[in-house]
Amino acid sequence: MITIGIESSAHTFGVGIVEDGKILANVKSMYPISDKGIIPMKVADFHQKHAAQTIRKALKEASVRQEEIDAVGYTKGPGIGPCLRVGQLAALAFAAAIAKPVYPVNHAVAHIEVTKQIYGLKDPLALYVSGGNSQILGIDMEPQPHYHVYGETFDIGVGNMLDSFAREAGLNPAWGSTVAKVAKDGEYIKMPYTVKGMDFTFTGLLTNAAALLKEGRSIGDVAFSLQETAFSMLCEAAERALMLLRKKEIIVSGGVAQSERLAEMLEIMASSHGKKFYVAPNEFNADNGAMIAVVAEKIHTSPKKGVSERLSINQKYRINDFKLSWL
Amino acid sequence: MKKISEGAEAVIYITGLIGREEVIKYRKSKRYRVKELDDSIRKQRTKTEAKIQAMLYNNGLRVPPIAMAGRYWIAMEKVEGDTLGAVVERGKRGERKARHLAGIFADIGMQLARMHALGIVHGDFTPANIIVDKKGKIWTIDFGLAEFSKSNEERAIDLLLMKRAVRKEDFDAFERSYSRALGEEAKEVLDRMHKIESRGRYQTRTLATS
Repeated sequence: MITIGIESSAHTFGVGIVEDGKILANVKSMYPISDKGIIPMKVADFHQKHAAQTIRKALKEASVRQEEIDAVGYTKGPGIGPCLRVGQLAALAFAAAIAKPVYPVNHAVAHIEVTKQIYGLKDPLALYVSGGNSQILGIDMEPQPHYHVYGETFDIGVGNMLDSFAREAGLNPAWGSTVAKVAKDGEYIKMPYTVKGMDFTFTGLLTNAAALLKEGRSIGDVAFSLQETAFSMLCEAAERALMLLRKKEIIVSGGVAQSERLAEMLEIMASSHGKKFYVAPNEFNADNGAMIAVVAEKIHTSPKKGVSERLSINQKYRINDFKLSWL
Repeated sequence: MKKISEGAEAVIYITGLIGREEVIKYRKSKRYRVKELDDSIRKQRTKTEAKIQAMLYNNGLRVPPIAMAGRYWIAMEKVEGDTLGAVVERGKRGERKARHLAGIFADIGMQLARMHALGIVHGDFTPANIIVDKKGKIWTIDFGLAEFSKSNEERAIDLLLMKRAVRKEDFDAFERSYSRALGEEAKEVLDRMHKIESRGRYQTRTLATS
């Protein structure tokens, strides 16, 4: 049982190959990030140019021939329309060429599922932190198996918040990584901290950080305080959910999950309650094709695979709308 | 001092030091936060909680009176009784008459309306945070997430948290009494509640009820 997954929701065109849950290849072509952000059509052009060669490279790395593939998965959303379209078309064409089924996959579900796959977890609490999203999730079986949103940002995602700050500070926006670099050993400045139960907001924090820069406070101190405040908010909301839902494990996934400081804080929080914390290696928290293959394989091997969704794309695909058909 | 429960934010102890039983709520330090941030959150929240609870008590609402407060802790009188969650469970098993429950929910509606009229939202208004005493009177506890606010959105969330956790007829009794007690303003709160429900996310929201 071999499955190929194609991811193209943003600046990465990723192709992964999975055999019975084992990841054989995870290859990426990445559109270079600039401080101007993403111009959708340019990235889509880039993906189109790199699609065939990235797929060939993944097959080669996995030592798998095209006709050995049993199923194909692609990212249906959420993401940037023109980018998603390239991945969808590549998947449909590839599946048609080998006459095998193709499955649409939710991007956020895939980030969570690949982490669970790597550590053999069944029902952890999941903190999903990416550019556009920040959510606290857990599996709920009613009315159908899905990831229920227990808490989330009321305004912007933590990744976009850190990127907006990076631009203000003249740094490259790279989902928090450039902010993290200058944030080391800063001095803490008090900032707006907004958690409501299991939900939170980030815009007040961003506005305040920008104002502090204008006042002449050092980038290091502001970046440090911004990062500490934002991650503490995420940690607190996740902690409340962990206690309320009595889960045994907590995972963090998505682009911002590559932050060492966030992982460190979550580890301290989880162990203080006797819970286990897991984070996947960075290549699976950055956008990648392997995670799409992992979910496509689960759908393909479940008895209910017949009830498939439309083979479309959905730029605003909510995680709770994706049915976990294998459960 | 005996530890009776531990939540995400605080530990609850029972003590008999001052003659009768008292509850001490201690806000824990969180090692994952930098010290300055941790300290300011704990102090600020403890202060707000004590202030709100004392103000409600002084205005005649049934909340545990505060005996003393420190930087990170609040000592208050212990309220004897069962949580509303437990009472509702017993009601489901037929141990209590429906009429009795309707009276309890009317009482809860009135208490919440008076709280909102005073400019305070509870922030975690679930059956776990309501105690029914031996006489059937209700007491609201845990103001850890309470705030000074007259926002319809936040008021509506107080109602919604209760609605999600109880039977329709119980919520109806609660809503009638809330509307009667708050008057004109209640209409706007209920409108907002229906709007929030139609946003979808709260429809299947899971809540602890015990």
